[in-house]
Amino acid sequence: MTDSTYHTPEGGALEGRLFRPATSAEQVEVVEQAFDYRGDVTLELTSGEKVEGYVFNRETGDEPFLQIYPKERSGLRTIRYADLAAIAFTGKDTASGKSWEAWVAKKESQRRAEAEHAAAEARARGHL
Amino acid sequence: MAVPVSQMYTVAKYVLTQKIRGVRRYPLVLMIEPLFRCNLACAGCGKIQYPDHVLDKRLTPEQCWAAADECGAPMVSIPGGEPLIHPEMPEIIRGLVARKKYVYLCTNAILLERKLDEYTPSKYLTLSIHMDGLQEEHDLAVCRDGVYDVAVKAIRAALKRGFRVTTNTTLFDDANPKRVRAFFDEMMKLGVEGMMISPGYSYQKAPDQKNFLKRNRTRDLFARILSDRKRTWRFNQSPLFLEFLMGRREYQCTPWGNPTYNIFGWQKPCYLLQEGYVRTFQELLNATNWEDYGVGRNDKCADCMVHCGYEASAVEDTFGSWSGFGRTVKATLMPGHLAR
Repeated sequence: MTDSTYHTPEGGALEGRLFRPATSAEQVEVVEQAFDYRGDVTLELTSGEKVEGYVFNRETGDEPFLQIYPKERSGLRTIRYADLAAIAFTGKDTASGKSWEAWVAKKESQRRAEAEHAAAEARARGHL
Repeated sequence: MAVPVSQMYTVAKYVLTQKIRGVRRYPLVLMIEPLFRCNLACAGCGKIQYPDHVLDKRLTPEQCWAAADECGAPMVSIPGGEPLIHPEMPEIIRGLVARKKYVYLCTNAILLERKLDEYTPSKYLTLSIHMDGLQEEHDLAVCRDGVYDVAVKAIRAALKRGFRVTTNTTLFDDANPKRVRAFFDEMMKLGVEGMMISPGYSYQKAPDQKNFLKRNRTRDLFARILSDRKRTWRFNQSPLFLEFLMGRREYQCTPWGNPTYNIFGWQKPCYLLQEGYVRTFQELLNATNWEDYGVGRNDKCADCMVHCGYEASAVEDTFGSWSGFGRTVKATLMPGHLAR
């Protein structure tokens, strides 16, 4: 499997990495990683088309497929594993750096700043 | 008595009907997650970590009603995200109440007081307020100061208007039993109908994998909290589930008891694990290898004692035999004592 990095990955995280599976086993493995990833990925299809979005489901039956919510359009899209050429973890990993331990370890001023930032975002959306 | 008689009757009738019909796997509480967007950003929450375009997606009222109709569970719980953010939530609730579902609308209550006018008190609607402890513990858990006070004020306002109000509390391994007991006293003083408690669970995808309770520590913690419990405390959940939390009885998980429906579909296999999605509830029942889940069957389930898996087990115990029913009566009448 080709695993090239075109952004700087954080501590071995998937963010910013590109996988080009060479076998079906590798394909299954990288789709699983995309399914577990809490950020957008960009799928490169064998047709040359690129689809950016969130992979929320996959099914590894006789005709394995994944399901993705494309970023730029409504509705979901189903893509067969057979049509996949590469998967790039292009979106921010939204779960990264948000652990309870990380929160507790931060300085009080940093926690306060993050809390205010989260509150400001919610306020801007009219959710506070 | 924390749960109204009409609700107990409805649930009892439903469970007994399933048993008479020989239905082995039936849902008890449908969990509808209408959106993942929240107005809090609690560290360790595994439900809100998605890209913006996913957080902007919402279930429509029609999708929520169809899920309730298809599933058939007598109770519907609406967590999230924060449901009160959903602009069509009042309509969703009206539709579920019209179907005579007992609805638990789970909210952090930040928007509750402002939105109370949009809802009508009903025996079918319970506002389930997320409260993780007294002020210090709660504000720390939700990573924002002042939320406890806002929630308490909203609870008072909701009670004044005649809404059914309960609290839901997730307890983590750093919980102080004395403080938790004091918190129960405070909630009872506020006048809530009952409290719901559960240990936390390490979501597979959650960033917080270490702060959740391990099984023995869970039992020890809940035994210390619930032994010699005060008669004034009312819990809006099965007394046998509380006994289970205290380590006084063993249950296997009932993952189909609280099926979950959200913007991705019906979640396999349960509310906590995300192993994939299917389009229909029947497909969920048929396509899930249920024997793969539960204590001793799956590493991911090893430490789980969460209500969404075991409350249904406790209810099944209650209605599974006369002795189970007797245990429930005893645990109800003598809370905190060992019911054999």
